[in-house]
Amino acid sequence: MTDLGTLDYIWLGVLAVFQGPEAFSLLGLPISVTVVMVTFGLILGIVVGATPGLGSVIAMAISLPILISVFGFNSDALLPVLGFLIGVMKGSTVGGAVPAILFNTPGTPDAYMTTLDGYPMARAGKARKALRISHFSSVSGDTFSDIVLILCAPFLAILVEAYLDLPEKTALLILSLSFIAAVVGGSAAKGLLSCGLGLLAVYIGTGEDFYPRLSLGAPALSDGIPITAAVIGILVIGAIFFELEGLWHQSRKAGRIEVTRDEGDQRLHWADIRRILPYIGRSALIGTSIGALPGIGSTLAATIGYATGKRRHDRNKAKEDPAFGQGAPEGIAATEAANSSVSGANLIPVLSLGIPGNTAAVFLILAAESIGGLNPGPAVFKFSTEQNPELVIAFGLFTTMIIANLLNWTVGGAMMRWLGVLVRIPKHYLLPVVLLLTLTSLYVQETAMSAVWFGFGFGLLGYFMKRFGISPLPFVIGFVLGGRLEATARQAFSATGGDPFFLLKSPIAAIFILAAVAVVYFSFRKPKAANP
Amino acid sequence: MKKTLKLAAAALAGVCISTAAFAQDWTPPGPIKMMIAFAAGGGADTQARLIAEELEARHGWKIIPEQVTGKGGLNAVNALKGEATDGTAIAMIVTETLGYNMASAKAGQPTDVTPISTTAGTQMAVVSLASKGWKTLGDVIEAAKGGEQIRFGVMTGQLGDLAYIIGKENGVDFNIISVRGGKAVMNGLNAGDMDIGFGAGVQAKAVASGDMVELASARSDALINSPDAPLLTDYGVSYVNETAFMFAGPPNMDAGARDAIAAAIADVVNAEGGKANAFITRAFGGPVVLHGAELESAVQNDFDASGALIQAASE
Amino acid sequence: MRKLSANTALGLGCIAVALVVAFVWIPLDTDTWLVERKRGKYIIGDSLAPTLAMGFVLVAGLLLLLEKGESDEYPRRDNLIFIGAMAGIGIVSLLLMRWAGPGIAALFASEEYRLLRDTAPWKYIGFVLGGVTMIFTMITFVEERPSWRALWIALVAVAGIILLYDVPFDDILLPPNGDV
Repeated sequence: MTDLGTLDYIWLGVLAVFQGPEAFSLLGLPISVTVVMVTFGLILGIVVGATPGLGSVIAMAISLPILISVFGFNSDALLPVLGFLIGVMKGSTVGGAVPAILFNTPGTPDAYMTTLDGYPMARAGKARKALRISHFSSVSGDTFSDIVLILCAPFLAILVEAYLDLPEKTALLILSLSFIAAVVGGSAAKGLLSCGLGLLAVYIGTGEDFYPRLSLGAPALSDGIPITAAVIGILVIGAIFFELEGLWHQSRKAGRIEVTRDEGDQRLHWADIRRILPYIGRSALIGTSIGALPGIGSTLAATIGYATGKRRHDRNKAKEDPAFGQGAPEGIAATEAANSSVSGANLIPVLSLGIPGNTAAVFLILAAESIGGLNPGPAVFKFSTEQNPELVIAFGLFTTMIIANLLNWTVGGAMMRWLGVLVRIPKHYLLPVVLLLTLTSLYVQETAMSAVWFGFGFGLLGYFMKRFGISPLPFVIGFVLGGRLEATARQAFSATGGDPFFLLKSPIAAIFILAAVAVVYFSFRKPKAANP
Repeated sequence: MKKTLKLAAAALAGVCISTAAFAQDWTPPGPIKMMIAFAAGGGADTQARLIAEELEARHGWKIIPEQVTGKGGLNAVNALKGEATDGTAIAMIVTETLGYNMASAKAGQPTDVTPISTTAGTQMAVVSLASKGWKTLGDVIEAAKGGEQIRFGVMTGQLGDLAYIIGKENGVDFNIISVRGGKAVMNGLNAGDMDIGFGAGVQAKAVASGDMVELASARSDALINSPDAPLLTDYGVSYVNETAFMFAGPPNMDAGARDAIAAAIADVVNAEGGKANAFITRAFGGPVVLHGAELESAVQNDFDASGALIQAASE
Repeated sequence: MRKLSANTALGLGCIAVALVVAFVWIPLDTDTWLVERKRGKYIIGDSLAPTLAMGFVLVAGLLLLLEKGESDEYPRRDNLIFIGAMAGIGIVSLLLMRWAGPGIAALFASEEYRLLRDTAPWKYIGFVLGGVTMIFTMITFVEERPSWRALWIALVAVAGIILLYDVPFDDILLPPNGDV
């Protein structure tokens, strides 16, 4: 076989998307299943993003088992399934702004800052214009971030593979975990607690010995806790309980939703775009750099993007223009560009290192693990002479992102404007239904009643963690990475012939370990505002 | 989409004429649960799912595959114990599960399950990247004697012991790295995290393309893809690894059900042109079908012989 | 006695849990120690990783004691009532889901439920009873009154989920039919 270069792989990846199994043909052109799935995912993402109480995580949790049973367990299934999830991810960042602008209720947590200027604009009769600005900024930010991802991830992976041996890989995992623990959530202490519990949970029933450790002799524990049950329980079911309780408390004071009529010119002019472009640019940069670090959410990006935009706007604005917080289009642009540009960059650590930085990335790993045939991590980017199927999938994945962005540019905006009705679905009916749907999807994926019990139990744990102000994300990432951390450490220890100081012998590993300690120390010294 | 695939497969199967009289007489009283003791997406998992698919298409049985991984197959063996004996629960494991793994875990006897049928053997070999420049295991031993630290990747306990004994018999000390699954050894070799490792057959493509070399056969006979590779006896090692993939049922399984399932599986893996047969031939060197008393005694012998290896490796 | 802050209480709890798990549960319920000797070399044992995880929890507990947090979040009485109710509803519904089918089959069917688990209407009994109970009771609890509307929503939702998973895919089984 001839040597395969980078361009060949990119081309193979593009072909894998467009020439995969055919769904139907349009005017004689075959449309591949992957393209169809990205489209469905995007539409579903916009819908759940626009529905307060739902979000991309719930949508992914419910659709994953269906997708797997439709497409089966083989590598042909990877691109359609992952493409769908990427569509959901991208759609929901756009959709979250709809109820934020129209009804002052953010559809997703990171759309909160969008309400500040979006709702005043809607009250002033500029709702559709506000939606257009939000869509334009969001998609610009997302596209920028994807470009950075596509350019950076392969190089980062190759660097890692070239310079990091087993001890360094172990140290890098430790650094990532402590970084996530220290940075996510209200305090370093609570982050560490969350991470430690996640690690303990994943170590139950696993291990190298024939006796399943920490299983208390119970058969349900001796196979280990299913990863989907832990992740979906803590993230989705815990959040459902939390939201449902809020509704229980306000069940008597349900307010009515006012709708203002649109007035005047709603279109987005070149002049508008020129006005908001500098804000989009800054926010996209901020969002992308924040997103590339694992564990820092889009909410922080939105906050910083908004604050930076505000400073600039206060200096530059003309007298008659509205200030931030009073219906400034620049405010929407700064927020939406920042939170959307997190999503692409967030995938840099997962694709290049196999370390998920956010919940969406956790689901990509779950999907890849359940289907098999792709192990996200540096090994993916091996440009070998014999065709490396995982690399083709990786470039196929990049292609699906570009498709999702193109769809977002073209049809996403129109969809947003139709979805205003969704906010009227009463959440206290929706959430119990979503709970049953989630538990059912958990069962369908694991075919074991114990998985449903675990999911429910972890939901209760997730609820209590939220009540104590502990972020569930370090738990989940600890659970996802715990197995790999232990395996890599074991291998590194054996590979060095049983050297107890294997983590400190190489300079790179030692630096990683020092950084891990430093990051916890400094974030402990400097308590910061909560960042859900 | 899957449905249309299934229909197509059913139509295809309709053309083939089953030779198994048993399988036609017997129908499972309900859906069959097929536990798979291997991680999703690996070679063994693919094999099990392809067999399930063809069994469904040929006989109209309903099979529900399920992953029960961990502990070298012993988790699946434990899960079998409580299942119904009427043929509605089977598990895919390896003969090593009932041999070495059971013996070293002191987790019962091979008679704790009912062996149904093997499906495929393995092409167990010591492999390395071609870029290392080694041609045989002897070159590696020379390198180790020259002071080079050699990392040896293994995926089961038995192979770990084998790697240790290869070193011990030749006066060198390998750093043995255990990982989960044959794919992980391949990844470790590719990433440079390991120098040599065991491959059960997944190395075939890389060996054919010249990216990897089979340095020695860990079987008692020569390898199909590298017939010139030395045997372990050439290096003073008297143990081999001839693991085969097999299906097992719960203890005291109904004999009729067991024979019918065994015959049906044999049909599927031997059917030339079938997907399962093609896959087994490509990845594991072809079908190996052993059932009934023959398989029972083979499994028991494996179990009894494991003690010697465990003893040798603990010295 | 001075009133404990929530952070301090949580910190003390963490320290206690970490110590008990590390010094009681892990040693008693694991086969190998932190490291073990195998094939002439030291390798990492099964206790090491969980012990380190408890190290994380221990450090978290100590930091919580030292942290000057303004936020003092903990579940109040109201919260406990709510989550207790949710837990109760969930447990009852899941038990119904698991056992209603086998129970009814034992009374009225000629075969065991295990053999009927892929046959309508038997296969729907547990899911419908358990699912409707879960949705209906949760809505009723949140609205603080039962309503026909809640019951309809529960029935429609359960039917919808059956249409989503069971009808189109012949290899998907609804709970609890995959592992009875």
